[in-house]
Amino acid sequence: MVNNLLVIKDLHASIGGKEILKGVNLVINEGEVHAIMGPNGAGKSTLSAVLTGHPAYEVTSGEVWLKGENLLAMEPEVRARAGVFLSFQYPVEIPGVSMTNFMRTALNEKRAYEGKEPLSAKEFLGLMREKKQLLELPDKLNNRSVNEGFSGGEKKKNEIFQMAMLEPCLAILDETDSGLDIDALRIVAEGVNRLKTPQNASIVITHYQRLLDYIVPDFVHVLADGKIVKTGDKTLALELEEKGYEGLQG
Amino acid sequence: MRVSKGDIFERVFVNEPEVGLKIEQEAGSRVKIVVVNFAPGTNRITVEQLGEGCETEIYALAYLHHDEAVTTETHVKHAVGGGTSNQLIKFVLDDQSRGRFIGDLKIVKDAQQTEAHQTNRNLLLSEEAEMRTQPQLEIYADDVKATHGASTGQLDESALFYMQQRGIDKQKARQLLVNAFMKDVLNTISDEALREQLLNAIDGVVE
Repeated sequence: MVNNLLVIKDLHASIGGKEILKGVNLVINEGEVHAIMGPNGAGKSTLSAVLTGHPAYEVTSGEVWLKGENLLAMEPEVRARAGVFLSFQYPVEIPGVSMTNFMRTALNEKRAYEGKEPLSAKEFLGLMREKKQLLELPDKLNNRSVNEGFSGGEKKKNEIFQMAMLEPCLAILDETDSGLDIDALRIVAEGVNRLKTPQNASIVITHYQRLLDYIVPDFVHVLADGKIVKTGDKTLALELEEKGYEGLQG
Repeated sequence: MRVSKGDIFERVFVNEPEVGLKIEQEAGSRVKIVVVNFAPGTNRITVEQLGEGCETEIYALAYLHHDEAVTTETHVKHAVGGGTSNQLIKFVLDDQSRGRFIGDLKIVKDAQQTEAHQTNRNLLLSEEAEMRTQPQLEIYADDVKATHGASTGQLDESALFYMQQRGIDKQKARQLLVNAFMKDVLNTISDEALREQLLNAIDGVVE
């Protein structure tokens, strides 16, 4: 039996009165990887911002259901606890807040939402150590402030590390490949692949086909001018690479 | 009061309604003052370096709510060269609270090779809070290193959203950012027990 994880119906959204999403429809089932590709300005990042509840965007019409619950009615932090995770295109530096303190607060909020006890300090640190190995992140990052002074590659690895800690049911990877060299890209992609289960799903937003060599999508959607204009399998990404987005419009 | 040649004088004031200090430093002496206000108060700290090679450190933090007000005045005078002074003054203002910083820094004509830094950073958590900053620098010597900076801002909205996206409640995210802002002042306290007590007190707001 197929379980709908996320259902997006005719979603319209705007920022500063300018409509960016103009009727997006998408169904994502458990266990699936969906790639969303498209030219700059098509609305790819807007879609991730709207799904996560960024306050700058206004949903003007449409519906989004996560496991049958009205996602758009939830506060951003509740969406996160319910299992929506965004790997930010530009992870934010938070001087003075240590990775350990940040991650423990986040994880315990999620556990409380699920009706679980908070992890003890020892259990928590053990989990940090285990998940960090997955991303080949050094231990010293624990005591550093969140993303502060991290290299571009470390920031992206740190996003996937947080994803490993929080075990979301829906991970949105927004241009995770941007600014990564090939080694970092391989580590990040392997991390994502190892976190895949039959119960979770991911949306991989990318401008280039390169990432999809490593994270193989079940579906590829082309977003152009605020709408999904074409859907295919992984071969669509190759076709886009070859012909460009222009070749698709007709 | 006078700090003798080569001596060290260090004082921490926590929640004192009124701090008034007038210090004269002899050569090679070191002075460190830390003032923490989680309640209304008036601070007036005057330090004059009278001998060569003095060190002066002044750190102040005020975190205010409701209609509380704190005024912090520092008057630092380098009357002789070869000394250093470092000031970090921070205010966190919520609700209708008011902060005022008057920072008077003077380097006289013959006080060459002086190094003086004055920094004032303020965080406004409410649109009704008000901060007034009046730095006043008088530098008459030419071979000195002196910097000053003052800024007043709000919480970083992108950091707040980032934390919310990880499941952290907005209120708690705000508090984590506020605590992060305050920590560098508290970390200057040498007395470990007191420092830990104050750091735990601000973290306690989060737990």
